Amino acid sequence: MSQPPIIRVPKTARSSYQPHRPLWKNTLLQNQVRHFLEVEKDLPPEHRTDIVYDSIKTEADAAEYIRRVTEKLHSLGAKT
Amino acid sequence: MSAIEVDFRGGPVSVGLDNLKHVVVLMMENRSFDHMLGALQAENPKINGLTGKESNLDTTNEPVKVQPKAAFQGQLDPDPDHHFPAVNKQLFLGTSGPPATPSMQGFVQSYWDQQRDVAHSHKIMYYFAPNKLPVLHTLARNYAVFNGWFSSIPGPTLCNRAFAHYGTSFGQASMDVFYVKEPYKSIYERLLAAGKTTKLYYFDPASSTLEVVNLLKNQPQIFGTYQQFLEDCKRGELTDYSFIEPNYSDHPGPGGGELLASDQHPDHDVQEGEVFIASVYNVIRQNPDLWKTTALLLAYDEHGGIFDHVPPPSCTPDGFHASLADTGGVPFDFDRLGVRVPAILISPWIAKGTVIPGPEDPAKGRVFEHASIPATITQHFIGAYDQRTVREKAAQTFLDLLGDQMRPDLDCPSFELD
Repeated sequence: MSQPPIIRVPKTARSSYQPHRPLWKNTLLQNQVRHFLEVEKDLPPEHRTDIVYDSIKTEADAAEYIRRVTEKLHSLGAKT
Repeated sequence: MSAIEVDFRGGPVSVGLDNLKHVVVLMMENRSFDHMLGALQAENPKINGLTGKESNLDTTNEPVKVQPKAAFQGQLDPDPDHHFPAVNKQLFLGTSGPPATPSMQGFVQSYWDQQRDVAHSHKIMYYFAPNKLPVLHTLARNYAVFNGWFSSIPGPTLCNRAFAHYGTSFGQASMDVFYVKEPYKSIYERLLAAGKTTKLYYFDPASSTLEVVNLLKNQPQIFGTYQQFLEDCKRGELTDYSFIEPNYSDHPGPGGGELLASDQHPDHDVQEGEVFIASVYNVIRQNPDLWKTTALLLAYDEHGGIFDHVPPPSCTPDGFHASLADTGGVPFDFDRLGVRVPAILISPWIAKGTVIPGPEDPAKGRVFEHASIPATITQHFIGAYDQRTVREKAAQTFLDLLGDQMRPDLDCPSFELD
């Protein structure tokens, strides 16, 4: 044996990509969103997104909301 | 430290442990041991997986055997219930309930509860055939499989992950927000206070972390992205302790493109999780200095409602009591563990094909759970540390599994991503 064993890992089928999967199908993501909404309540009013839970319908919606709050928390960079 | 020295618990220090500088934990989502690794018992009888005879009764009283039919996606929709009351049924159907020994007979009937489809309920017994998971199965064959690593609570994700960060969930047994109670600190805060380095890497800002309420809100500086993890590894700047979270959602990339969820949470594609695990492994494996000084623990947070045949054992209580509203009225004092999950410890200092016995071996078996993570990290990087739960203090640690012989490079696999 002259080189380490190499195991091939197939690429995931692109059809797996379902950003429009309804949020209600993923309880983990639903709860992650709920926790971000909870944290957002403690942000100064000018830093809140004003996004409400009912407007987040899909995984992509949830991801976009989470991205906005995550970046806000990093930009604030300290205890609120 | 030389090989003849002893650690603070009095055990001998192996050469592998003496060389250890970094520990990386990658925690995936919601798959049971038997579902992911059960097939491997056929090739290695030491692995406490499946014989093919394990079964549950369905709602028509017909036995449903385990079958190697698990697919990457499309079978576990809806997401199997794994909140406390449902897991209680999965564990105790046909018994008087806790403190009886779990029957492990309620998985099919619990899944039936969600859409009352008998045929669909059988899919909760499916497991992955050998080589269907080239990454996970290769790592299991090459490094150390834990026969007895259990989720910390018979319940859902967030309270289980809390044990990996804090050694307790502070009494939470559900997906609700929990708050840290004094005097306990996260493993990250403990390390920073001890002058060590640590990072919690989430996949990207759109996936972010499941620890937003306590950690991201109050200590955003301890977080990085997965891209930063890759760069830190390549530059040789990996922190002492790193915890990695996979991508929790399908979403567009920052410059366009499609980013698939890699968490393996049903019904996300398991194959993408394989790719993600391989990428974490490869970036460590391909840096020789990092490879010989790093231990990578791959673990799943909980079973996601999917069948496993090993009854979870009892454990040291952490002094908290769950709300009856969260447990469906079942008293729960955090004195027993959740369903068994896959866990593999990866290092060139581990002999190929290592299997750590679990409850199936009354003499030598060891029981691990997520509190074993902060227990191990504290033991290795900090030493004596009292401000933690009795549960964490009693948890098994795992770095004693590193031995004295470093395996040759040619003996340790790499993954080639398509």
